[in-house]
Amino acid sequence: MKKKVNFNINTWLPVIIFALIAVIFGIATGGQLFGATNLMNIFNQSVSTIIAGLGMVFVATMGSTDITCGAIVGVAGTLSCMAATNLPGPIMIPVALGVGLIVGLVAGVVVAKFKVNSFMTTLALMMGLRAFVTLLLSNNAYLIPDSMRFIDNNVFKVIAVIILVAIIVYVFHYTRFGVYVRGIGENENAIRYAGVNVEKIKIIAFAISGLMAGLAALFTIARVGGTNSTIGQGFEMRVMMALYIGGIPVRGGSGSKIYKLLFGAPTIVMLENGLVLCGASGGTTQLIRGIVLLVAVWLSNYLAKKFVNVGVSAAQNQKKAAAAE
Amino acid sequence: MADVMLKIEGVCKSFGPTKANNNVNLVLKKGSVHGLAGENGSGKSTLASMICGMQMKDSGKFFKNGQEFDPKSPGDAKKNGVAMVVQELGVVGALSGAVNMFLGEMDKYKKGPLVDMKAMEKDAYQQFDKWNLPHVPLDIPAGQLQIEQRKVMELARALNADPDFLVLDEISQALSQDNREVLYKFIKKFTDQGKTILMITHDLEEMVEICDTISVLRDGEVIDTRASKDYSMDELKRLMIGREVSGDYYRDDQEESYEKTVILEVKNLTVPGKCENVSFELHKGEILGICGLSDAGIHEIGNAIFGLEEGRRGTVTVKTSNTELKKPGDMIKTKGAYLSKDRDAYGLMLDTGIGDNLIVPSVVELSGAFGFLNPKKTKALAQQASEAFEVKSSGLNHIVRRLSGGNKQKVNLSRWLVKDLDYLILDCPTRGVDIGVKAYIYSVLKKAKADGLGIIMISDELPEAMGMSDRILVMKEHKQEAILSRTTDFTEEKIMEVML
Repeated sequence: MKKKVNFNINTWLPVIIFALIAVIFGIATGGQLFGATNLMNIFNQSVSTIIAGLGMVFVATMGSTDITCGAIVGVAGTLSCMAATNLPGPIMIPVALGVGLIVGLVAGVVVAKFKVNSFMTTLALMMGLRAFVTLLLSNNAYLIPDSMRFIDNNVFKVIAVIILVAIIVYVFHYTRFGVYVRGIGENENAIRYAGVNVEKIKIIAFAISGLMAGLAALFTIARVGGTNSTIGQGFEMRVMMALYIGGIPVRGGSGSKIYKLLFGAPTIVMLENGLVLCGASGGTTQLIRGIVLLVAVWLSNYLAKKFVNVGVSAAQNQKKAAAAE
Repeated sequence: MADVMLKIEGVCKSFGPTKANNNVNLVLKKGSVHGLAGENGSGKSTLASMICGMQMKDSGKFFKNGQEFDPKSPGDAKKNGVAMVVQELGVVGALSGAVNMFLGEMDKYKKGPLVDMKAMEKDAYQQFDKWNLPHVPLDIPAGQLQIEQRKVMELARALNADPDFLVLDEISQALSQDNREVLYKFIKKFTDQGKTILMITHDLEEMVEICDTISVLRDGEVIDTRASKDYSMDELKRLMIGREVSGDYYRDDQEESYEKTVILEVKNLTVPGKCENVSFELHKGEILGICGLSDAGIHEIGNAIFGLEEGRRGTVTVKTSNTELKKPGDMIKTKGAYLSKDRDAYGLMLDTGIGDNLIVPSVVELSGAFGFLNPKKTKALAQQASEAFEVKSSGLNHIVRRLSGGNKQKVNLSRWLVKDLDYLILDCPTRGVDIGVKAYIYSVLKKAKADGLGIIMISDELPEAMGMSDRILVMKEHKQEAILSRTTDFTEEKIMEVML
């Protein structure tokens, strides 16, 4: 049978949205957007979002939600800075990663074993952790030790992102763990009836999400230079936007792809950055962010349905071919 | 003519390039049961849904009682005395049975700002009693009812509006033997009042027995209409498929035959309230059927062996490796597989491609160091499974939801059978598939048996269990009643006697 190549718009949607935003703001800012310094700015601001997103994508793919990453940035950032005041700088790395991992594990166990809805679980965790940061810091702030400032180095960041993306792409697309995570998003029961320990997979996914949020915390505080009680606030929303604006399906499943995040994260940053360059106020920026997200999610949803219909006509063609035989 | 209930004249309906119904002409008489036979996708359900106003016809006319009848919606059809029980489950799971019965008619039961649930339930049960249907609990969410009970409830609901024309689309496939008897009695009573039933069923034996007239549809066209007594089973099959069906369908030997090696030993398996003290041994190359009436607990056995029922007691041991099955993963490790009755809910990932579905059970074997999955290997496996089982599709990316019931089941089965298995538990493997695929599944099972697989086949259809099994374990009221042998005990009377 002749192979018919279908152009699948859904595959290209994240790229198209990215390009669209780039063109609009490229023109609106008179090319300022593409200035070398500004491009570096956009990359810099995307790094933490991409890293946390690389973890969150596992949870999102299962059709669950994890909104702890902002709070993890707060707690992991604060505790690691505090630890570094008395101990050598590199202690920050195990502290931050440890905090992220523990929070992720707790969320995972509560969701998988106690069957609490993931949004509610992580919402509760987020509130608790935020309160913890406030208690720890009140009005104080900690600075990152000089020995750890290398994290904010551009070359280091580029290398780190490339390595992390490579690892996550491998785990997500080329391991059986990835198959199960996507399968749980499609039909949890089908995976359970295939003899898979679904609870274990869920816990691991949340643990990865927490771990990556801990890592994102290091990059965030390195960039800001230290920590205060508001650090990481709203970060979870930004990461979620990066995922969903990139066309990762909200219901999870096999439509999730890592590359969608890699386009989604800079799209968000570019949007904000472009609006600022255009002189938009904070309120306007928020409003436009909301509208763009809504349109992007609606579009990918709408196109996903269209794509399914391609399946119908293909089925009918197939039937005809069979009848003709 | 006075005795004509519904006349269908030149009705056409297309979906894109496909003609689901092409110039359909039919006359349905008063007081008769009219059967529609045809393979999956032959246009039976499309025709039925147009009569009931769920879809609009492209051209052609319906005449009901001599008047032109052009329903724009199910409500419209209802006003004209046409009701339907749909093939898919049509209840709102979160609402109670009583509310489901009177959805859309709640105004009648307003009591101040509230709804009078008591009155609603009373009226509902009156409807059940009027037609001698078995009562189902109406005060719990309909989603908690068993498929069977829901079907009975849907039937009662369809009768609310007191229709004189009723469409039953695949209602009996969800029912077990005793409830089928109830259904048949109901059909008799209904048609005795001069009302008409349009019946769609895959069970041809049932169709020939119940229907007065049968029309055969193929590719959207009516091929033939005759009194059902003028059809032989083979002729009906041939007309539906359009070619000769080979004679062997079930097994043709009459002997219990399997090797002595025991593969699976089940001892005193008990799940409180579901099944009690089930004990049996499954041998190499054996097909063990499990039959029983509707609530006898046959479907729970599969889940219990698999390890998904809470509070399970007793032991399940895989003799080949002497491991006890405790959790679902154990079965996979011991080269076993379990296919649930509800393949859409517990088997397949409906919104993703065939290929993704096919590889899921095999990823453990396919993955190398660090769980690495070679895309080439997975694709090859999916290709192999899809080709070996002749899944009709446009390719591995074909969305499973868009496959016919038969092809879905092929995907569901093949993804397990490509593996190297020792034993297999199937719960109603031919549920909702057409005759061609049914025959195909039986041939696959025969081959698996010859290859030495031990197969447990839980079945709602007695002829199927009798046709395929070496032994049949009969359940009655959650207890194991007997194990009957193919050699000596396989007559319908004998098995029914044990069941009842």
